Order: sequence, then C-alpha cells, then structure tokens
Amino acid sequence: MKIYMKNKLYLYLCLFLSGIISAQQITGVVSSDDGPLPGATVLVQGTNIGTSSDFDGNFTINAESGDVLEVSFVGFKTQEITVSGQDQINVTLIADQALEEVVVTGYGSQREREITSAVVKVDSGEFNQGPVTDPIQLLQGKVAGLTIYKPGGNPNENATIRIRGLSTLGANTSPLVVIDGVPGATLANVDPMDIESVTVLKDGSAAAIYGARGSSGVLLVQTKKGSIGEAKVSYSGNYAVSSIANRIPVLSASEFLANGGTDIGNDTDWVDAITRDGTTQIHNFSVSGGAGNTVYRVSANVKEIEGILNNTGYKQLNSRAGISTSALNDKLKIDFNVSYTKRDADRGDERAFEFAQFYNPTAPIYGADSPFAFNSAQYGGYFESLGLFRSYNPVSIIEQTRNTRNSTDFNYNVNAVYEVSDSFDITVRASEQRTTSKDQLYRPTTLLFEGNAVSPTRRGLANHGTFDLSTQVAEIFATWNTSLGGDSQLSITGGYSYNQINSNGMSFGLGDFPDNSLDYSDAIQNSQDLLNDGYITANSYASPDEKLIAMFGRVNLVLNNLFVNASLRREGSSKLGADNKWGAFPAFGVGADVNSMFGLGLDKLKVRVGYATTGNIPGPNGLSVQARNFVYAGGGSAGGATSLARAANPDLKWEEKAETNFGIEFDKGPLSIDFDIYSRNITDFLIDRQVDVTEFGVDRRWENAGAVTSKGWELALGYDVLDTGTITYNTNLMLSSNEVTLDEYPLDLAQYGYLGSPGQNAVTMVRVKVGSPLGQIFAPVFTGVNPDGSPIFKDVNGDGNINSDAGNVLQDDYDGEVIGSAYPDLELGWGNVITFGDWTINAFFRGAFGHSLINTFRAFYEPNVPSQTSYNQMNTNLREPSLGVAQYSSLYVEKADFFMLDNLTVSKRINFGADKAIKDAIVSFNATRPFISTSYTGTDPTPELFDSEGGAEEGNIADGGAALLAPGIDRRADYFASKSVSLGLKLNF
Amino acid sequence: MKKLYTTLFVFSLFAIIFSCTDVEEELRGVITTDITVEGIASDSGGGAGGDALEGAFSQLRNTGSAGHTNWYSAQELTSDEMVVTTKGGDWYDGGWLIDFHKHEYKPTNPSVNNNWNSHYGAVNACNELLAGGTLDANGTAQIRALRAYFFWRLMDMYGNIKLPTSPGSDAAQSTRAEVFAFIESELLAALGVSAISPSMDLSGSALGTAKDAYRLNQFGVLGIISKLYLNAEVYTGTARWQEAHDAADYIINNGGYSLCDAGCSVPNPGKRPAVSEDPDTLTGYAAVFAPNNQGNPEHIWTVKYDAATAGGMNLAMMSLHYSSQLTWNFDSQPWNGYSTLEDFYRSFDGDPRQKMAFIEGKQLDFGGSALLDYATDDGDPLLDYTPYINELYPDGCRECGARPGKFSYSQFGRPDMDNDFTLIRLGQVYLIRAEALARVTGDWNDALTDTNVIRGRAGASLMTSLDASSFLAERGREMFGEAVRRTDLIRFGEYGKAWWEKNPSSADKEIFPIPFDAIQASGGSLTQNPGY
Repeated sequence: MKIYMKNKLYLYLCLFLSGIISAQQITGVVSSDDGPLPGATVLVQGTNIGTSSDFDGNFTINAESGDVLEVSFVGFKTQEITVSGQDQINVTLIADQALEEVVVTGYGSQREREITSAVVKVDSGEFNQGPVTDPIQLLQGKVAGLTIYKPGGNPNENATIRIRGLSTLGANTSPLVVIDGVPGATLANVDPMDIESVTVLKDGSAAAIYGARGSSGVLLVQTKKGSIGEAKVSYSGNYAVSSIANRIPVLSASEFLANGGTDIGNDTDWVDAITRDGTTQIHNFSVSGGAGNTVYRVSANVKEIEGILNNTGYKQLNSRAGISTSALNDKLKIDFNVSYTKRDADRGDERAFEFAQFYNPTAPIYGADSPFAFNSAQYGGYFESLGLFRSYNPVSIIEQTRNTRNSTDFNYNVNAVYEVSDSFDITVRASEQRTTSKDQLYRPTTLLFEGNAVSPTRRGLANHGTFDLSTQVAEIFATWNTSLGGDSQLSITGGYSYNQINSNGMSFGLGDFPDNSLDYSDAIQNSQDLLNDGYITANSYASPDEKLIAMFGRVNLVLNNLFVNASLRREGSSKLGADNKWGAFPAFGVGADVNSMFGLGLDKLKVRVGYATTGNIPGPNGLSVQARNFVYAGGGSAGGATSLARAANPDLKWEEKAETNFGIEFDKGPLSIDFDIYSRNITDFLIDRQVDVTEFGVDRRWENAGAVTSKGWELALGYDVLDTGTITYNTNLMLSSNEVTLDEYPLDLAQYGYLGSPGQNAVTMVRVKVGSPLGQIFAPVFTGVNPDGSPIFKDVNGDGNINSDAGNVLQDDYDGEVIGSAYPDLELGWGNVITFGDWTINAFFRGAFGHSLINTFRAFYEPNVPSQTSYNQMNTNLREPSLGVAQYSSLYVEKADFFMLDNLTVSKRINFGADKAIKDAIVSFNATRPFISTSYTGTDPTPELFDSEGGAEEGNIADGGAALLAPGIDRRADYFASKSVSLGLKLNF
Repeated sequence: MKKLYTTLFVFSLFAIIFSCTDVEEELRGVITTDITVEGIASDSGGGAGGDALEGAFSQLRNTGSAGHTNWYSAQELTSDEMVVTTKGGDWYDGGWLIDFHKHEYKPTNPSVNNNWNSHYGAVNACNELLAGGTLDANGTAQIRALRAYFFWRLMDMYGNIKLPTSPGSDAAQSTRAEVFAFIESELLAALGVSAISPSMDLSGSALGTAKDAYRLNQFGVLGIISKLYLNAEVYTGTARWQEAHDAADYIINNGGYSLCDAGCSVPNPGKRPAVSEDPDTLTGYAAVFAPNNQGNPEHIWTVKYDAATAGGMNLAMMSLHYSSQLTWNFDSQPWNGYSTLEDFYRSFDGDPRQKMAFIEGKQLDFGGSALLDYATDDGDPLLDYTPYINELYPDGCRECGARPGKFSYSQFGRPDMDNDFTLIRLGQVYLIRAEALARVTGDWNDALTDTNVIRGRAGASLMTSLDASSFLAERGREMFGEAVRRTDLIRFGEYGKAWWEKNPSSADKEIFPIPFDAIQASGGSLTQNPGY
C-alpha cells in the first residue's frame, strides 16, 4: 500500500523582482511537482488578506513591497516569499513528506524513516468515500491487519474493531482510540468529515507507550485544523438510499400451503412489511482560517439516517471547534478543542427480522383480514397467532414499539507545549469526555410481544435507563533532543499520565397501564405496578474511581542509518489485586535504512524489528474482592442476609502480551511493498473461569488463567500502474492472516455458544480446546435423513455407536467434528484509484476467505418439522425437505468466504473560479456493496467475531460472558445487511 | 534568574504529580462483606436465629426445589412420573431431557452440572454463616442441619462427594458411607442426642419445637433423619429401618401437626367465576399444595415461595401448554414442557387425588369458552390434554400428556408461583413410618394402618392388603410431584426397570456422574463414579 505520497523532492522557487514599492496587485501560479495546485492558501503575513488558488493554480492578491506572502497547502511545506515590487510570483510547493514525513506516535512524533514498529498512517485523501457515518468505516480494508466487521446494517450498532485478531479474552479487545493526543476517547464523538488522518499502531513496540490499554493496538486520530488565511467555508453533503443487501429465502404462501402449513387465508411477505428503502442525509459545514499566530476551525455536521428496518435510525448533530495559538514569544503553544455530539436514535427492535422470517406467510397483518373472527382491538388492530411459542406479528412489534436512545457526548481538551529551550520542551495535557444517554422503551398495552396484550393484568411495559460516563485524562511529559553530529541524534521523553473513569447508571421497568391512548412511558405514574408487589424492576450502579496511572519514558536514537527506540511504562490500575496493581511494560525496536546504508539505489529499503510487553486489565471493576447479594427474608417479613454472588480473587494481576514484530519496507519506482510478520504470546490472561464450587462457594471466578499465541503476517503492495499526466491508475493490495492458538486454559476442553430456544437450549456450537486454534465450530456431521425425519449423523470415531446428542459434546466418544473456523484464513483489501482529468473513479474491493458461519435461522426454521405447521420455513438451496427434526449439525455450518465490491465512487471536480461565490465543487456518485460474491445463504457473510447473544440462555448454565470464545454464530436477531447508493456534493466557498 | 524559577517550577510540578500514584479501589454500590439485618416483624422460627438464616434457607430456592434444571428436574424427569418430550423444534435442548428419561445421562448433562453447582453454593452459604460466628445455638443447629440436608441431596445424587465445612477451603472426596456418617452425626448433634430411639430425650437439643415451616425445628430435622435412615441401605448397604420408624413416630406423636382434612380449606385462587366446575374452595389434600397453602397444619418444613419476593417455583410455566395462559390469565406464556407419563396417570384411576394432581381433558378459557390452539397437530384446534403421549422424540404432540397441577395455579398468576413447596409434611411422615414398620417386620400389611390414614384423608377407599408394589404405587399417588420419586424408585429397586420409552438401566445409573466441569475444575481431586 502506498501510504505516503512519494513525490520527488526538490525546491523550485522563482522570484521575479521589480522595483515597485507601493501596494500592487500580484498574480501568480501555485504548483507542485505534479502540476498546478488548486485551493492553496496565499496570505499576506500578519493580516487577514488572503486568497486561494483556483483550479489552474492561479491567484491574485494585493500586497505591498516588504510584505511577506505565505503560501500553504495541506500536505505541503508552507513557503514564505517577501514581496519586493514584482507583480507576478510563481510558487512551487514541496510535499511535506519530502522533508521526512512526520508520524504521530504517541507522546510525540517521529520521522517516518526512524520508526521501528508496525505503524500505518492513513490520510483523509485515502479514506473510504460515500455516506460514511461511523469514523471507523473510513479505514475499513485500508490497513492490513486492521479488521473492521459490522455484520448487518443496523445504523445504531458499532463495528467490531480488531488489530491483529483477538489479543485477550477477558479484557478489552478493541484498540485504544487517541484523539488529538487524548487516550481513551470515543470514536463516535468525532465526525468522519473532521478527521485529517488516522495512524494505526499495530504492534506491541509501537503501542507499548500506552501500556495497559495498548495491548489491542492503538488508533491515533488527528482532527482537521485551520490554516492561516481568509476564512474558508466549505460544505459537503451526501444523500443515500439503502436497501436489503440479501434476503434469506423462505417458503412462499403457496409453497407453505403445499407443505401442509396452516392456512389463514392471506399472502403476506413479512420481510417486505417491516423493511423499507432507508434514506440517509449527511451535511457538513466547516469554517476555518487564521491570522497571526492563531488558527481556528469550526464545523457542524448533521446526519439523518434511516435503517432498512422500519422505525430504526437516528438523527445526529456533531459540532467541533478547535483553536491553536501561541504566547510568550511563541514559546508556549496552546491547542484547545471542544466537541459536542447529540444523537437521537430510534432503535426499533431487530428481533422483528427473526419473526418476519418464520411468521406464517398466509397470516394477515391486520386482524380485520383474518378469515375467522378475531378480536384484534386487543392487539391494536393487528393479527396475532395465539397459542404458538415465540411467534409474534413482526409488523405489530415494529410499529407499536417505541425504543429510543438520546445520547450526548461532550469533550474538551487542552494541550500546552512550553519550549524551555531549543532542545527541551514540556507538554501538559488535560481533557475530559462526558457521555450521557437515556434509554426509553415502551411496549403498548396492545402489543403481544413483551407488551402482554393477552394478559388482563400486565398490559404494557415501560423501561427507562440512563447511563453516564466520564473520562478524565491529565498528562505531563517532557522531551529533550540533542544532535549527536551528522545525521545522528538522541531524543528522550519522560512523563506521567493520570486517567480516571467514572460511570454510573440506573434503569427501571414497570407495566400494567390503563389503555392504549398514550405512550405511558411518559406517564409512568399511571402504572398499576405501583400497587403490586414486586413487579417493578429497578437497578442502579456506580463505578468506583477507576484509575490508571502511569510513568513512562522513551529513548529514540538515530545513528546515521540505524534507528533504536526503547520505551518503558510503569502502570498501576485500581482494578487489580492489592499486591499486583503495578506492572512494567518495556518495548525495544531497531531499524535500519538498508538502502542508504549500502547505497542500493532504491527509493527505500528498510528493515525493522520490535519487541514489547504490553498489559491488559479486566473489564469489570471490583473483581479482586467478593460481591454479595442481599436476600430479603421475603413473604412480607423484614430483615434478611446476604449470599455470595462472586468469589474474590485478591491475586488478580495484569494480563501480559509479549509481541515480536519484523517488518520490511521497500519502494522502487511505481512499486511499494510493506511486509510485517509477528508473533504474540499472551500469558496470565484474564478470564471469568469455572472454579471448584466446593472450594469457592460459587462455580465461577475471574482469574489469570491460561495463555494464547497469536501469529500472523500482513502484506501491503502498492503500484502506480499508469501515469500519463491525464490518466493515472494506482492500485493497492492488502493481505493479512492471523491465527490464535490456545496454549493453556483452565479446562482442557470446553464448549461455548448456546444455540437457544426453542428446543436447542444446552446445545453448544464452538469448541475451545487446549492446543487448538480458537474459533472452532464443532458439530455432528450430517449425512442424511432417517425415514422418520430425524437426521443421520456420521459415526466419526467408528465405534459403531453414534453419540451425537449435543449435551454429550464433551464426551470422549462424542461423534462430532470441527466443521469450520469462525475466523478467516486470509483477509483482503484491494483499492483502485483512476483519475482522468477532472474525473476520479475509486473502486474498493474487500474479501475474507476461509471462515464459516453458523446460520441459526436455518438451524431453527429450515427443518420441515411436521408439528410446526404454523411457522414458515427457510428455503435456501441447502434445505433438506425430508428432514423433520431441528437439531444442530454440520448442515447449518456454511463456508462464508466472500469477495465484494465494497465501495465504488465516481466523482468529478468542477472549477468555477476563485472569484466566484462557489470556487469549486466535487460531485460524486457512490455505491456501497453493489456486488458481492458468496455462497453463504444468510444475510451477511461478514465474520462474527463474538457472540452477540453471549449471555445465558433461559434455563441453562450461564456461560460467564464467554462471548469472545464463541465467534462464528450468525444469530437470528441480527439486523439484515444493507447496501446503498448515494450522491455526494462538496462545495468550497 | 527567570530560567531558574522556570526550572524550579517545572521540577516541583513533576514532583507533585508523580507523587499521585494512588490506585486503591473503593467500590460503590457493591456489598463486599456479609451483612445481616434483623427483621422488625421477623417470622424466624425456632426461637432465636432470626433473618440472618435467610441467606442459607433461601438456597432451597436456588437449588431448584420446584424449578427447571435443578433438584426438581433430577428427581422427576429420571423417574416414571414425568417426562419432557421433544416437540418438533421445541424441547430437544441438546438431548439432556431425553437422556434423563432414558437413563442415558452423561457427566456433561446440564442438569447434573447445575445441581452440583447450586447445591455446593448452598453448602457454602451455610458454611459462611457458621464461620461468621454470629449465630446463637439454635441458629447454629438449624444451619448445621440445613447443610446436612444439602449434603444429603448431594449424596443422594452423586454418592461420593466432598464435604467442605468452612468457606474457601477444599475438602477431599469422601465415600458415600463416610458422607452418610457425617450427615447422620450432624443431624444427631442438632437434635442433641447420640442416636434415634423411642426413648430419646430431645430436651438437650438447641432446636426449638415451635411451628415454623420456613425454618427447621426438631420435627423438621427428625423428618430429614427419617428420610436418611429410610434410604440407608441404598447409601451404605446397611438398613436402618428402626431408626427411620422411630424418628417418624416421634414426629407424629409429639409434633402437634395434623393432616389437612375436611375441615381444612382455603379459597381457590384458581377459580374462574364463569366455570362452575372450578371449586370455590380447596379442601383437604388439595389445600396442602394450594397457592395459599402457607401455614397448613400438615407442613413441617417447606420451601417458602412467593411470586413477588421469593421466586423460583415455575411449575405452571414448565408444564402447561402455551394456550393455557388464557385459562389462568397468566402474565407470561407457559413453555409446554413437563407432562405425566400415561401409566403413572393411570395408576390414579379411581382415586380422588387424580383430579387434584393433574390437568387433563378439554380446556376452557377464563370465560368458559373453548381454548383454541391454532397450531394444533391433531386437526382439532381445541386444546385437549390427553393422558396418551404419542412419542418421546422427535415429534411429541403438543397437547399430549396430563399436566401436573397438584401445586395448583392461581388466576392472574406470575411465572413465579406462591405455593410453598413441601419438603417434610405429616402425610409423608405417615408413609415413612408405614414403610419403615413394614420393612422392620417384613410384612407390608403392617403398613396398612398408616397408609389408610393417608387414603382416608384423600377420600380414597381403604386398602385391605399391601405389598411392596402396591405400597410404592400408593406412595406415588400421595407424593406425586414432590420431588421424591427418583429416591423412592431406587429404594424399591424399580429405578432400573423399563417403562414407557425407557429400557432397563444399569445399577450404576442410580448415582449420577460427577459433572465433567467439576472434575476439570477440581484439579484431580474428584474421581468419576463407576460406569461413566
């Protein structure tokens, strides 16, 4: 991949001198190596007089002799030209990278060539395009080893982000997000349009400076800043229409009847009835500029998103302001940023998808269309097929339920750098982020599903919940630089970091409302539950002051073409046992510019190796001490006692990850190759494990128990296929592969991932076995159907006895096999950019190969069960019509390899001229997921990296939050995948 | 000079900040140490002890005495009383319910695992209370006896178990005989005697004699020890019939309990005003198990259940068909699981307890109209529970099987029911005395007197002769649905026999396997039972 623009470096500056001293009009052309530069800023230093170059790079400005013109453009080094009478000034700007691309690396920055770890920077120009609503989508497929998967098209759900696969089981699996230097920030609080670049710290030696939270990698986000000059106003907007990407075939009404289904006289396409073509609007306004030593940028972003499921979506306002200035003779530089995000979400109920898939296709939507007398008034006019287990009219659910979340994020950060001397500076940083959200769910008295419309006493349900989260960060660090002569230099950084997280929340639920005349969640005082014992549910909690405190130091040494980086972070966490709160996390890296060292004449050849230990802390607080529940005496009497809910582990300590990374970077002419290979050993990993109940009183406890190894490689290839001046074609290919093997675990063998109700409680699907890779989908092997409709399974061990009841899956003689892996063997991203004059075509392909998914829709509803005549059946090409028993097996485990055109954007730049009200515009057409190739019969072949229903199933053993150990399950309640087409417009005023 | 100040300032700033390295954790909103609150209107029994005991006694609910997947399931579904058939796509659940019925359970059976975990959790709650040192003599005696009862259940299920007696400490695996001896000594200690005999003097017992069925008094503990001795031959190979008899005899003679008979009735909370067949009151046998059975004169020791404050009795949900929601106006849809084996149902033919124990026949809704099931599998939408069950797997019919209804259901009931669940009741004590006497004398007819007391109370005709088989059948009728059948069948040597959709099973199956998970987590300190 071509991450940095690779312009050859030379400076060409022409000054045409003349003797005119008075104010005059100056014209000129701003260009770069590659030709004219439109949109460059030309400013008279110290004034507000400024302009931008037009499409052909031309500019006109009034200036006096002696004035200094500043010419700047993003990505290029700013030029200063003193006016001395000339009336034409042509400027050639030099790409910034030419003077060594500087990459932000956490508590400082480094020149790109000196980096010894696996770091990738993605600039805004390389981001995914189209209606991007979640900032992480900008990066999807752009960085080898950064996986971003979001199964389904739920606009209110976040993507799962992993760097180099799973790195922990009991702690945080998502990378640490650092926005403008502030660690622990929330990505949702930044609008995609406000992001200038994202730097991905992939390996341990890069992330180790972030210690405890660096184990899962780090994303360093830089927001856009203003630049000196006249206020620049710009607008960009996007209008998109999304629709279901892929449906799961079901029996039509006539097929259903032919199959013996119960006839209710209608013909309803239930999925159609609950879905729509969702429209999305995105508007972004920004104003930026600056004068003297102060620059600013203010932006406002408005989004209105409709999901493909009716009554789902959100409206969001996001605003951000940043100002940078300096004082004390430029010795003190201060940045101040503030942002505010407000989102009003309609969350609907995605379980409607599940019911729509198997609801009787001959049932009417409304009771009035029922062929027999049906009292639909009780159900708000909707039809309901009563007497069935878990079968609810999905239209009624989606139209009657109100499920909202109103959330706000407020964030500020101050960053001050004081230059004590040329070689020594001190940075002080303070920030706070506050998130508050309020949930409201109302199931009306006429809703059967969870609204208990059938009950005479318990109709209607109102749930409320609030959540507050605040994150405070205070950091101070100092950096000392010194030259060691020639190209050699030494830089030492040392500092202190204080992080405090506080959260609290409460929720309550009550029901039994009088009628259907209003939304009683806004009038809960009318609940009859207030008079009934024990119906109101209520819950509240507050976290302790969750603290993470660290001291850190780093040494960067450059010895001509050899680079050495070392860092150490000592970190303490409030979450760990009293004697194990502190851990030390070292990192070491060496790199060599082999090209320069041996004069190979390439554009680049660098090798580097890094080693680091990083830590991870458990998610929940308080695990080192026991927790108890109060048990009331009950039955109307007072008093009570407590019972043990969680056993203490006073020895709880850091989970440690040791990672070795080796990388090669090669550039020559149009070709660039980056290759990384790594190995990670995670020890003492944190897990909520099964313990001996006879000793601890409960059967689960958090412990440091086990080890995993993760190995993988990443390859990024970039090639400039064509560059004729008018036509350019650049292509990038990213490949990555990763495998996580379980080395030690408290149990030699365990199974996770319950299939669930109906009828498949206690059926586990994913195997966890010491010595094997994680993510093994395990099942009896389906070979055919008995005459009575039951499945025939393979006698895997050949003992003549088929032991395939799921409850016996851990038995030695169980007849089952590993059917597939939940994780892909290979992930691919392939970007193509073609420019032709004003036109740009951007086609981005993405694929994942080797992974499987368990299609739970099929597992429950595809078998032709004779007694289930009132449920519709899935009708994929894998259906076995004679199979009359729903029993989990290899039949429902499908290869989910996919290759898709993820994003196709065609855009045209239109230049109106610098003197026009609108100077220039970009019009674009975008299609997201227009094409996909897969044999998977579910709605989305995207890997499922964790179990979205990882909790306990009704009537079964709680699986202790082992969601991460049960990947690969495509759950029934998952939102269907969507695709979209959109039109975008960008205007610069 | 200025530079010096700046430097000093910077260094002092660093010094201040670096000293801030406190990462202590001060939890909010989490109870981290045991607390007990004495009730103002305490209903604690047996004198002192108070509500501090509730944490331990509430474990009777946590161990699933009348819920799905724990004690109740293990006692009922492995016996000839109840079955959960696979109904098409429903209730297969990995096969563990079928394995229970066919006696093909393995160490990974979820109920085998749940019972182990919940009962050791209960033992731990007792151990914590005892270790706390806050109990008076009565409280200590109650909790030791309660712990002995949980150990008894564990021994009854798993045979060779661990006997941890203080929280946070492991114990070695004991043999069944050792466990028996320990339980016996604990119960005798609570009773303050060295042996059970007709002439024993309980005046030295720390246990009280006042009636409180939610706590253990002398009679409750005698009830436990009489059950222990009744099954002693199974546990140790040595019969202890005489002591079983003497303990039961002492309860009947000294307890002051009485059988709930004609004069003992409560209003019927399940009454539908529009349905004349629904009785207005529940009298006698039916009243013992009614939703409002609290304080029944027959109750010696019960599990307190309450829809709002003491949940866990889910028999209505576990057994009834989805549509039966409309008969009782439940606020949740039942699950259509547990039903009665036809042969067992037939063993009640002609007995008045049949009508009280089962829900059978055509079902009406609250208003008295026919109850319809649009997804019916027999072509007739009317919901009609038939004693006949077509098959165990894979397509058990949805309305097949008479449903247990002895712990009867309330109109407007919740998923959690109000009925107190009987652990020791006088009717059962009569049956223990009857059986023990017959076993001592070797003549089953010696059991007639007490058996007929029970039959007479239920309104059944009096018997004139008895043998082991007819006594067991009578015990089945009287004790149906009280989670005793598995133990009874084993004692009578009937557990390994064939019944509907169940082949003969080996003697090894009379003890459950130690759970797979427990063996893995034990680090080698648990050995699997023979035959698994």
